Amino acid sequence: MKETAAIKREGFLSWFRRMWTTYPLFSTAIALLVMVVLQTLALGFEFDSFGAWFSTWLRNWINILRNNASVGIIALGMTFVIVSGGIDLSVGSSLVAVGAIVMMLIDSGPRGFLYSMGISGPAVYVLAVLVGVLAGWLFGELNGVLVTSGKIPPFIVTLGTMKIFRSVTQQYMQGGSPSVPSGFLEIANVSIGGQMLMPIVYWLLISAVLHIVSQRTAFGRHVVAVGSNERAAKLSGIPVNRVKRRVYALMGMLVALSAVLQVSRIGSMDYANAGSGYEMDAIAAAIVGGTNMAGGRGSILGTVLGMLIISVMNNLLNLMGVPPFLREACKGIIVIGAVLLQKKESTS
Amino acid sequence: MTLEMQEICKSFGVVRVLKNVDFSVRGGEICALIGENGAGKSTLMNLLGGVLQPDSGRMLLDGNPVSFRNPAESLSAGIAFIHQELNLINDLTIYENMFIGRELKKKNGLLDADAMRRQTQEIFDKMDFHLNPMTMVRDLDASYKQIVEIFRALMMNASIIIMDEPTVSLTDSEVERVFDMMRTLGQHGVGIVFISHKLKEVMTICDRFTVLRDGVMVKDGLISETSTDDLAHHMVGHELHIETVRRDYEKEREILRVENLSDETAFRGVSFAVHAGEVLGVTGLLGDGRSELFQTIFGVRGNYEGQIYVEGEPVHISSAMQSRRLGIGYVPRNRKENGILKDMSILENGSIVTLPEYQRRGLIDRVRQNLDFDRQIEQLHIKLGKKSDLITSLSGGNQQKVVLAKWLNANPKILVLDNPTQGVDVGAKEEIYNIILKLAGAGVAIVVLSSEVQEIIRLCDRALVMYHGQVLGEVSGDTMNEHDIMRLATGGTSAEIGGENE
Repeated sequence: MKETAAIKREGFLSWFRRMWTTYPLFSTAIALLVMVVLQTLALGFEFDSFGAWFSTWLRNWINILRNNASVGIIALGMTFVIVSGGIDLSVGSSLVAVGAIVMMLIDSGPRGFLYSMGISGPAVYVLAVLVGVLAGWLFGELNGVLVTSGKIPPFIVTLGTMKIFRSVTQQYMQGGSPSVPSGFLEIANVSIGGQMLMPIVYWLLISAVLHIVSQRTAFGRHVVAVGSNERAAKLSGIPVNRVKRRVYALMGMLVALSAVLQVSRIGSMDYANAGSGYEMDAIAAAIVGGTNMAGGRGSILGTVLGMLIISVMNNLLNLMGVPPFLREACKGIIVIGAVLLQKKESTS
Repeated sequence: MTLEMQEICKSFGVVRVLKNVDFSVRGGEICALIGENGAGKSTLMNLLGGVLQPDSGRMLLDGNPVSFRNPAESLSAGIAFIHQELNLINDLTIYENMFIGRELKKKNGLLDADAMRRQTQEIFDKMDFHLNPMTMVRDLDASYKQIVEIFRALMMNASIIIMDEPTVSLTDSEVERVFDMMRTLGQHGVGIVFISHKLKEVMTICDRFTVLRDGVMVKDGLISETSTDDLAHHMVGHELHIETVRRDYEKEREILRVENLSDETAFRGVSFAVHAGEVLGVTGLLGDGRSELFQTIFGVRGNYEGQIYVEGEPVHISSAMQSRRLGIGYVPRNRKENGILKDMSILENGSIVTLPEYQRRGLIDRVRQNLDFDRQIEQLHIKLGKKSDLITSLSGGNQQKVVLAKWLNANPKILVLDNPTQGVDVGAKEEIYNIILKLAGAGVAIVVLSSEVQEIIRLCDRALVMYHGQVLGEVSGDTMNEHDIMRLATGGTSAEIGGENE
């Protein structure tokens, strides 16, 4: 109400300009709104058959969100990494590595690790997920240690581990894919009200938790401090290296959750191709959501919006019949356009 | 070639930086330009180098009036300015640096490396200097880099070279090397303007001197007719009456003691102690190592030799976290680079140090965070709009208070303030002084690092004067005056105070 009063007082255009310049996420939200309106039109909105239209619309949206949940979760971790002043290119590969570990653990065939130890049922799944997350944490910690103690630029460290994780996984998983027991599939596929909503639920839940971590914990604020001015952060007594290690470890754990989700949703994993390009999609989502590549600025909320913009756009292009090869070009335009639109840092 | 500057005036806004300054330098002589920080030396030289333009006054080159609208014009008139931070590219060779921006090309458009190497070698030979033009600049020590800059100026046919504190980062033997080169240049008829704080060096190398104080040329003359004592006196002027805050201070218990502290490069053999409620000043000129010393004590600089005691307990400090736990606070110099987190709010900047302590069940207790910061706003009189505004929305003085606030929240036993009034206006300066004295009154041991002698005299109970990484002396009471501090800071020893004429 206060805002509407403000609009009346100062006029829509000047209100709009003020919002645009004061709140970095305002332009992002407007972009999303435009996308959604276009998408609604593309779905052939007709007032007469509202009910039928609405159920199509809803199904379409659930599809969008579900398909992007995996990358969405990774983009959240990527936001932390970029805000801290780093980058993680290894996410797609560690996703495959964690996926392979989880699948070996839950394999109900003769090669199944836990199965052969006589453990079965839900205990297997819990153990597999825990071990998977632990593995993801270790992969992330490895990146973090190389960045901090090894004093190697994050781009190079994670470029290296990107190659290592995938190639080692492919070598060890040559004997064919293990079979995933149906029970495990339920993690992602249990349906709520006839719809498979679980990936969306996980994504939103993790987003909410990480939003709080970023805004309300010392760790979250330290990440911003380190990315904003590493020297000032160090001179404020912040354990800069520990903060960085934790950021990469968090990234690793989120990748692990994403891997579990992927294995459970699809029931198999293509070790050569799964997760490839995820790092770029995650970075793109963070950038569109207002994260500054130089560190110091970015938010979980922004990244969620950014992820939505990119996925809705994909869907829109699909609905409009744009050839698949051209869709990547549109993604590129969106990323560059988003940064152009964002409030520029003043030089002072 | 003779260069004369007559009745030069220059103002920035309402501040008159130069008032009717006369200055001249002739080919073949080395002329010292000396003065305290802020006396107007760099402004004068920037006018000469075409970086700035004078408001009034004349510049004459061999009697002909000239004016320089930009550095390129000044350079083509034969005046080269070698800045303190060297403008060499480490990843290129010497000869590439010599020709950077005006490379020699062959007819086919490719670089003529042979010609550039040959010309570099020729000028080296002419000046009797032995260095391979193919050497990477990265591999040169600081004195050779300085010399390469000089040669680059010569290569551009400079007949007057301005050198802004060229010896700051050089060791004694390196200084000798640069001096030898300067003498050779003199023999070849090049005029040199030597800006320096180090009066001993001025006495060694220069023929003439000009002293600036508060934008006025107060004295010029021949070096052979003066002494370091005289020069120091001219720099400071009449014994300025500075209002000192002589507090009734009695030594309480010792908070920090340092014995024989050395690191590899910046300081050596430093010993001192600070007591609760005391304000200890540490001063010196550029390159004295005081910042490095206290950054080491704060644990952000790396290894050291020697022993540090906090409240009588021997400790080995290896991280800022650890020193913070020991009760040491450190407000760094260069607020913009080291003090503020530009992407964060005023509130967050003011509570970043104590953030972990505000956590309850893993989340930051915003009520406590705000309460603590509100208390600091009140005590330090921080003027701000909203606490959630970015720190960059504040004035310099208020930013500095916020940086101070983040440490006060941590209740330090000893607070080190490195150039605490850098870039703040006069009013805020007084306020910060009052805050410091109030803290000392409350029993905090305070160390103020400052290059402003007035600040030290105004604020401190006693002061250490450092020169090239060593504590040359301690001043307090009557010996804490500009004259004696300046003499120690320029390399004289405490025994020389009141005596010694070189």
